[in-house]
Order: sequence, then structure tokens, then C-alpha cells
Amino acid sequence: MSDPMIDEWYPVALFSKLDAAGRDTLLMGHPIHVARTGSERVAATEADGRSLPVRIRYGHVWTSLGEPKKELFDIPEADEPGRRLVDVGVVRVRCSPLRAVENFLDIAHFPFVHTDILGAEPHTEVEKYDVEIREKEDEVWATKVKFFQPQAAKSAAGGITTDYMYRVPAPTCSVLYKTCPPRPGEWDVITLFVQPLTEELCDVWPWMALYDDEADMTDLIHFQQMIFLQDRSILENQIPRRLPLDPGMEIPTRADMTSVAYRRWLKRHNYTYGAQLVAQ
Amino acid sequence: MFPNNWCKWTPVALSADVPAGTVIPAWTPTGDVALWRSQSGQLSASSDRCPHRGMRLSHGFVRGEALACIYHGWSYGRDGACLRIPAHPDLQPPASINTRNQITTEREGIVWVVNEAQDEPPPSFDGYWPLRSMTFQASIAALEAAAGAKADISGLIRCTLGGETAFLLAVTKGEAETIVHVLADKNASLAQRIAISQAGEQLRRDAESADALEGAN
Repeated sequence: MSDPMIDEWYPVALFSKLDAAGRDTLLMGHPIHVARTGSERVAATEADGRSLPVRIRYGHVWTSLGEPKKELFDIPEADEPGRRLVDVGVVRVRCSPLRAVENFLDIAHFPFVHTDILGAEPHTEVEKYDVEIREKEDEVWATKVKFFQPQAAKSAAGGITTDYMYRVPAPTCSVLYKTCPPRPGEWDVITLFVQPLTEELCDVWPWMALYDDEADMTDLIHFQQMIFLQDRSILENQIPRRLPLDPGMEIPTRADMTSVAYRRWLKRHNYTYGAQLVAQ
Repeated sequence: MFPNNWCKWTPVALSADVPAGTVIPAWTPTGDVALWRSQSGQLSASSDRCPHRGMRLSHGFVRGEALACIYHGWSYGRDGACLRIPAHPDLQPPASINTRNQITTEREGIVWVVNEAQDEPPPSFDGYWPLRSMTFQASIAALEAAAGAKADISGLIRCTLGGETAFLLAVTKGEAETIVHVLADKNASLAQRIAISQAGEQLRRDAESADALEGAN
């Protein structure tokens, strides 16, 4: 496999749920085993017994089949005191891991897929926002994103215009910062960590770091799982299943600037696991 | 089977299964289609893929005289042209955004689709009206063997189901899948129609197990 995605870090388990017996899973088509070996220690091994590098961060166990050239990306907000860290769990989706990330970066679908929750007609317009590939960090960023939401979060009582920022620090991970209703001026953090099982099958591990002192943990998890299950009904019905990186196969508009930058960034790095390169 | 040398039309669904204001998935040799009927009753067959992000349009919704994609609400008219992009309400979508619709017609309760305009309308079936559509996970050969009848020169399979005469319109979808529209005498009683329908399910089991056995050998 010459794809440089092999050297990236991927989530493969929830740390809080991992015991000594561990779990068998798949990473980029390779069977691996992940298990707890101590109170703060885990091991990941390939079928032939080769040990893989591991990290425990953001509630998840991370590993790589290759030789990571960079440390796992930082989410500075994750360590801020007062945030509730929410392990949402896992949603298996029969789609390309890259399609799952691209859907997470999209706001225009809110009124149609997350109707009356994250969006509602007639509030469908996507205003112009800023997108850039930050060269120093080598990350895709979208800022000044705004959208009207009937119920932006579990803690939101009525409709508000929500501000967003999106960040793609790794090919199958995205971090979303959004207006935090109980604390104006702060950002809630919602992440999408995607484990590529194969090029057309993935496990999606959402994770959150919220300023929400009131909501029941179960309700927070249910809210986020409902959102991702609505997304799954879309992701499993897109044709082709892989993300087309060649222009011409799909037609973006100005609302899709984040997606356009993400595809361009993937192509530039030759991150093609889960991509379709030749229009068919 | 259909389409064939005499009939370029493909029977894709029963008219009764596409009421006004709905969309269903269907299949033609040209590809999957989203078959939809507008509020005013007009039928269209759009390619089952939104040109924006590849979402199946058969998962979408019909409003007025347009079909909308469930993903971002892009809507399309009966000619396939994109009418509206909700993320940009003031934008007039360029004509290049189009769902490439096929030609549809209805005759005696059956919806037919074709890729290019035809001089001949689809066939009439002599007092036989559609009862139900079924999908067999079996080849057309297995279907014919289970029915004990072969398609005639027009493509029609005449057989006996539940003691009654039935007509089968078969469409080959890939090597091991066949779409079958079952037709019964227009004057058949409810009991006769139920008997034909149940015999159709037995026919499916027979055809599918015959193909499964052949696959095992």
C-alpha cells in the first residue's frame, strides 16, 4: 500500500470500554486486536503479532498501520477545565470514510436531513464563509460559518443562529466548534473520528467536549446518535460509494467550499483510501 | 422478456404503486431511476442520482410539479432541469445541472420507460391487468422453468397460477435477478386475485431455490 494514509492515526476503540480481553477490529482492511494491558496502557497488534503504535486521547484508543510522521493532532480545548467529555459510541456506516467526513463538514443538508433539529425550511440559505488550507498546520479550516437552527444542541431551548468553525486535522477526522448556548463566547467541541475498516465501510466515533452542566449524559449521547443515524441514511445511499476526487463527477456550489477544499487537500497529499480517482 | 427486439419499452412499475406526490426506485437497462408522479398526476423517470453529491433521488420527495433530493433539497422539474438550490435561494441554477430523464408512458395500469422516443406504444394485454410487481433473486431461465412456460415472441410468459391464467412481464436485472409484473384477468374475483398472488410467491420460492441448487453444483 503506497497510500500515505497508512501513516496516519486512527481511532479503533473507546478507551473507557476496552478491557483486557480487548476487541478484534479492522483497520484499512487489516485485522487487528486492541486490548487493555494496564490502567493507562493499551496494546494494538496485527494478525501476525506485530505491535502497532498506540495513543490514548480524546476518550479513544488510536493506532496506525504505518509509521506516523506526526504526533496525533492536538485539540487544546479538550483539556480545558469545566468541559464535559462525552463518549458517544460508535455508528457503523457502509460508506467511504472520506464521504463520512465530508458530510460532517456540510451544513446545507441540516434543514432536510436533521429537520427541525439542526435546520428547518425556509431557513436554508448558506451565507458566504471563509475557507483556507492552513499551510503551517497543514489543516483545512472553515470559519465564520453561520446557520439558523431550531434546536442547535440539547441545551438550546429555541431557534438561534449558530456560529461554526470546522477543522480537518487528519484525513478521516474533523473537529467542529459551535456556539455554546449556556456560555456565550465559548465554543462547544464536537468531533468526528472515523475508523476506516475498508474503503467502503467505516466505524464513526463521535466525541464531544461541551460546556453543558445540566443535560443528562444519556440524553446527550442519544441526541448525538440520533443526528448520526440520520446522516447514515444519506451516506449509505450516495453513488458512487467512494468519494470522487476528480472534478466533473459531482457539482459543488459556494455552500460546498469546505468540501471543495477538503477534496483538494486530500488530492494534494495523495490521501486516496476511500476515494474514486477516475470518473466512471 | 422485456425489453426485446419488438418492444424497446421496459415495464418498471404498476401505475397504482406511484400515487400523486410520491417517488419510488425503479430499474431500466439504462440504469436506476427515481420514478415520480407530480401533484397534478404527471409521471417522470429521473436518473436515480442527484448530480450534486450523488444521493439517490428515489429517497427524495415530491412537491408540486418537482422532485427534490432529500440531502440538500435541490429540486428538479419534469424535464430534468434543476429548478432550485435551497442553499442559494436567489441563484438561478445553470441549465447544465440536469437529471437526464427518460421517457415514460402508462398503458392499462403499467408504467413503461424508454431511453429514446419510440414510434410504437408499449403493448396491450388483451383484458389482462396488472396485479403486483415482484423481484426474484433468480435468472429468467429459472423463472421460466418454475412457471413451466417460456416467453412467447412478444416477450410475454403465459402460465397458470393458483389455477388461473396469468401473464408475466419479466425484466432481467443482472444475471441472477428478475423483475416480474404479474397480470390477471380484468374480471378475476378478489379470491382469484389472492390465489394468483400467493401462487406468485410460491413461483418465486421455486425459481429462487432452483437457482440456488444450480449455484451449489
